[in-house]
Amino acid sequence: MVQIFRFMPNTRTNVFCACATSDAMTLAPADAGQQQDGVRATVGVSGDGASLLRGILILWIIRLLFSKTYKLQDSSDLTEKEIEEIIEEWQPEPLVPRMSKEKPAPSYNIVSGPPCHKITVNGKQCINFASFNFLGLLDNDRVKNQALQSLRKYGVGTCGPRGFYGTFDVHLELEDRLAKFMRTEEAIIYSYGFATIASAIPAYSKRGDIVFVDEAACFSIQKGLQASRSHIKYFRHNDMEDLERILKQQELEDQKNPRKARVTRRFIVVEGLYMNTGAICPLPELVKLKYKYKVRIFLEESLSFGVLGQHGRGVTEHFGVNIDDIDLISANMENSLASVGGFCCGRSFVIDHQVFALLAQKAISDYVLIVILSQGYCFSASLPPMLASAAIEALNIMEEDQGLKVVGESISPAFHLQLEQSSGSRESDVRILNRIVEYCMDRKIALTQAHYLEKEEKFLPPPSIRVVVTVEQTEEELEMAANLIKEAAQNILQ
Amino acid sequence: QVTMNVGVAHSEVNPNTRIMNSRGIWLTYALGVGMLHIVLLSIPFFSVPVVWTLTNVIHNLGMYVFLHAVKGTPFETPDQGKARLLTHWEQLDYGVQFTSSRKFFTISPIIIYFLASFYTKYDPTHCFINTASLLSVLIPKLPQLHGVRIFGINKY
Repeated sequence: MVQIFRFMPNTRTNVFCACATSDAMTLAPADAGQQQDGVRATVGVSGDGASLLRGILILWIIRLLFSKTYKLQDSSDLTEKEIEEIIEEWQPEPLVPRMSKEKPAPSYNIVSGPPCHKITVNGKQCINFASFNFLGLLDNDRVKNQALQSLRKYGVGTCGPRGFYGTFDVHLELEDRLAKFMRTEEAIIYSYGFATIASAIPAYSKRGDIVFVDEAACFSIQKGLQASRSHIKYFRHNDMEDLERILKQQELEDQKNPRKARVTRRFIVVEGLYMNTGAICPLPELVKLKYKYKVRIFLEESLSFGVLGQHGRGVTEHFGVNIDDIDLISANMENSLASVGGFCCGRSFVIDHQVFALLAQKAISDYVLIVILSQGYCFSASLPPMLASAAIEALNIMEEDQGLKVVGESISPAFHLQLEQSSGSRESDVRILNRIVEYCMDRKIALTQAHYLEKEEKFLPPPSIRVVVTVEQTEEELEMAANLIKEAAQNILQ
Repeated sequence: QVTMNVGVAHSEVNPNTRIMNSRGIWLTYALGVGMLHIVLLSIPFFSVPVVWTLTNVIHNLGMYVFLHAVKGTPFETPDQGKARLLTHWEQLDYGVQFTSSRKFFTISPIIIYFLASFYTKYDPTHCFINTASLLSVLIPKLPQLHGVRIFGINKY
């Protein structure tokens, strides 16, 4: 009988302890152990012990039925009068905080007209060294025409999130095109560039997970990390030794507590080209660290998309890193693509479960996962279709950027310049190359196409310009010729 | 709001906390236990005492697994996984003790235990099994054991 009362005195205080701290993980089980022993002793002796237990249980039921039932929204302890008094006393803060006289009010430079090469700021015409218009596609006629056509077809906005009649065929087409361009399995579109990485990070990284991020990460990454409620560990900007140091520290902690390590997900968040410092991240070393310490890489490519790499695919193409090694690539479409919004792309499922055995989450870049989990994707209106069409057209322009490729050894005195992408038929290729040759001849550089008796050749080589370098040409002449050929190609092939 | 009902839109961040308050769930639970008992009764090999002990044991096993062993939520919650390391019992009503659904789920295994011990005619073996099973389900429900993981079992 005495054992029952041990339940009562502590329970009230423990209830409030449990309510007050939401992570109440450690309440001292002072009574439980002793209680267990007492009960086991009673059960051992069958007749008396069992009836004693039953007596305890009946008393416990009676106690539960007649004690106060707590509800979640418990009324407060204050009386009506006290509530009124507190309301009377309350003084609202001013909506606009008082500004000090020293800090000047923010003033904006007003741009009239498009912020392209020549920009009119505050009435003055200047050359634009400020906008992120890397590929100059902002004022491109083809992009503008496509946007106008789309505007006439779809209207201006979408009036709905992606899941609620806000998905148009242009969205799906743009996602498909981006996935093909970046050579990943899937891609999805966000309607606001800042929110792209800020929504993608908390979709994967939750409380209890660990994110290693560069100190110079941009503000949207920082907001994403804050929203994820994970443990954030910073490493010095672009310093791989520092990153390795904290990864090793984490590994030591994991070895001390392997069960906790098994449910903790680890991520590295880096930018391809840092907006704050203009540095490029050392991606090959990062991939090595990824496989050594089993962390996932999230790469933010807003500034490097369209800029780095031979075709503009970003820092992965720049370093020749396999795109499948990067778990998630996120980028703004507001810089090189001269549109609005952002996209994320990556693999559809984790390839090798063994390598990532320490990570609990199975499908990190699953298209379905980000669709369900990312609040920035689910709960905001989709990208206006005219901006999606403009982005598709900008992608077209980026992709069709064909040029000449050099075929032959660099020490060879005779080498060929072929078209990277054939225009369809041999005749049109020959005509294009002819125009380049004529352009150069007009400017005093003699070039020739490689001519063949087409029907006689066993294996006909593709049409090309054959360039010959001799001992008689000077350095300056070589420079001039190279520049001229480049200029000719740019003028004729674009 | 205090209850969360089927077919009604709710703004509950973690539905696990409110589900045991929703309309009809106590009745469903009672009918489920009754159905289990009837199914066991219809097996010809088992005598009535064995059936009652089996009902008690299976019910307590199910209750232990779903309320005290499995942690977190079967769905993603917008609070970034606050309840990831909490069992369902610990998540109920956001940790407030002695609410009506907690009382109901504490009393129901005791009722089943009394019925089982009556129908097994207080036979010692059955009594031992039933008591052990009841204790395995009653002890985790104590407010003192909220959030406690003995020997670190089931901690992560």
